[in-house]
Amino acid sequence: MVMYTINRILYLIPVLFILTVAAFSLVHCLPGDVIDVLAGQEGVVDPAVRQALEHEYGLNKPLYTQYFIWLNHVLHGDFGTSQVTRRPIALEIFKRIPATLYLAIVGTIISLLIAVPLGTMAAVKRNTAVDYAAQLLSLVGISIPEFWFALLCVLFFSLYLGWLPSSEYYSPFDHLGLSIQHIILPAAALGIRQAAITTRLTRSTMLDEVQKEYVDTARSLGLPEWKVIYQYTLRNAMIPTLTISGLQLAQLLGGTVVIETIFAWPGVGRTLFEAIISRDFPVIQAGVLILGVAVVVINLLVDLMYRVLNPRVRLA
Amino acid sequence: MAKCVVSQEDTLDLDVPVSRVTLSLRRCWEVCKNAVSELCRSKTAILGALMLLVLLGLCLLTPYIARYDPIKQNYREMLQTPSAKHYFGTDRYGRDIWSRILWGGRRLLTISVLAVLVGILVGIPMGTLSGYYGKWIDAFTMRVVDAWLAFPGIVIYLMLATLVREWKLAEFWNDLALIFALGINQFPRLARLVRGTVLAEKEKEYVEACRAIGDSNLYISLREILPNCLSPVIVQATVSLGSTLLVIAALSFLGLGSPPPTPDWGSDLNLARDHMESRPHIAIFPGLAISYAVLAFNLFGDGLRDILDPRLTDR
Repeated sequence: MVMYTINRILYLIPVLFILTVAAFSLVHCLPGDVIDVLAGQEGVVDPAVRQALEHEYGLNKPLYTQYFIWLNHVLHGDFGTSQVTRRPIALEIFKRIPATLYLAIVGTIISLLIAVPLGTMAAVKRNTAVDYAAQLLSLVGISIPEFWFALLCVLFFSLYLGWLPSSEYYSPFDHLGLSIQHIILPAAALGIRQAAITTRLTRSTMLDEVQKEYVDTARSLGLPEWKVIYQYTLRNAMIPTLTISGLQLAQLLGGTVVIETIFAWPGVGRTLFEAIISRDFPVIQAGVLILGVAVVVINLLVDLMYRVLNPRVRLA
Repeated sequence: MAKCVVSQEDTLDLDVPVSRVTLSLRRCWEVCKNAVSELCRSKTAILGALMLLVLLGLCLLTPYIARYDPIKQNYREMLQTPSAKHYFGTDRYGRDIWSRILWGGRRLLTISVLAVLVGILVGIPMGTLSGYYGKWIDAFTMRVVDAWLAFPGIVIYLMLATLVREWKLAEFWNDLALIFALGINQFPRLARLVRGTVLAEKEKEYVEACRAIGDSNLYISLREILPNCLSPVIVQATVSLGSTLLVIAALSFLGLGSPPPTPDWGSDLNLARDHMESRPHIAIFPGLAISYAVLAFNLFGDGLRDILDPRLTDR
């Protein structure tokens, strides 16, 4: 296990290296002068400003030196200043991480709450109307774009019925009731795709599990059917399901860019989107890097967790 | 997989001279007939195939059935509800939504097909060579694939889309960059899939036979083994078409797709947000179009999987 962990972490090094190089080169691949891009205006003529920027980022040095200077800044938590708000980017982004995490976690919980009962029911009542309905629902869920589902939710639940608010964010630590009210729609929109994928997965792992011998043994011992299904089978079937939902969490983070934009949710995804729209390149650079690192780290944790749960897995 | 069954008479029928062209035509016909009869084994696949046929038909017939210019603005007919004149109504610039959906679909489908094709063209040779030759080629390729899979796709899309927008590329180059970005994200999955199947396939006896008669390694891997490994690739490619379409729609919804007047399902949905309360139909039709297309690909892919891999039926 220790060797596996070390190996797996060593694999991260090239990935993180490529990720940082990609984020670093973003600014350098843009048309025009790098100083203009960093200063956020075109044609910086003031020689003092130019010189200060050149000195800060080492722009008169070779490109690889610039990369290391930038990396050094980043590792110290300095992502530069935003061109729009003129405040340190690290401050802007880090204070928005909780909102995104909150959204992603509630989204995952909602998806599991829908998927696990639905998938189990489909497997237990295999080849009945319930099963077909569950399969059809999950197929539709996979095919619907999440941003459209989000718009439909807003249209129906906020505009027509007026049940749930369609925007604004409250921290769960300050106003729990309001916070829950406000997170339902975004989290449901974010989790719907996950729910569909997890339903299929739960169904197929349950089908596998139900056919195993210990289930027959349990039944022959006279245990009630619900106990066989919920206490023994489902528990075993949950191992792959939970792992995959962990992996999906990484994908979910990508989805936050769209969902946070629609619901005006003050998270990292929306910051990234606003930066792209207002051409705030240092923020784009930082957002891309943070999102990328988050995905990579989540994948690592899920891999390690899977290994703990299922020791047969080897490093590919 | 549908097997090509050509009856013996085709080649032995000496009384009537059969040209090569007719022979290959006849063979094609047999293959198609077989494919259709195989397809009929799965209801999901038939439904998916029918939906895809409708989609394809609409795309091909677009110039004839789209009744209005998708780009021309007409302020006299702004925000109209669906009617006989405008089947799906009009948007805030008075453009006919039905025509925009048709033209947008044509473009969107072309881009996704090309993107998946790029993935296939890179992924398949990579997977085949790595599975067949093993050793350092395999080690190297799989490390590249691992690294790539760990790399978040959304980051690549966002960065490339930002760059493309800043360079203010013409529409063609814009689409080309998008195809490249999407395609390059497809290859690792395909390469890994092909490698796995090739590994299993290369132990079989026919490969031994080929080696015995002295075929070159390149010939064996690409001409003998590869064709036997294609069925999972076809399934994966079909499903990828759907997911690629979703990514393109999401990017253009965020305003990172093609520049505004171009008809595009994603950006049309975004435009519709301002008028959702009074004119919900503007938001409903483009979304329906996306869901329909993706559902068609997913159904077809699922059905194909059932047919090609009977072990998975009932799962």
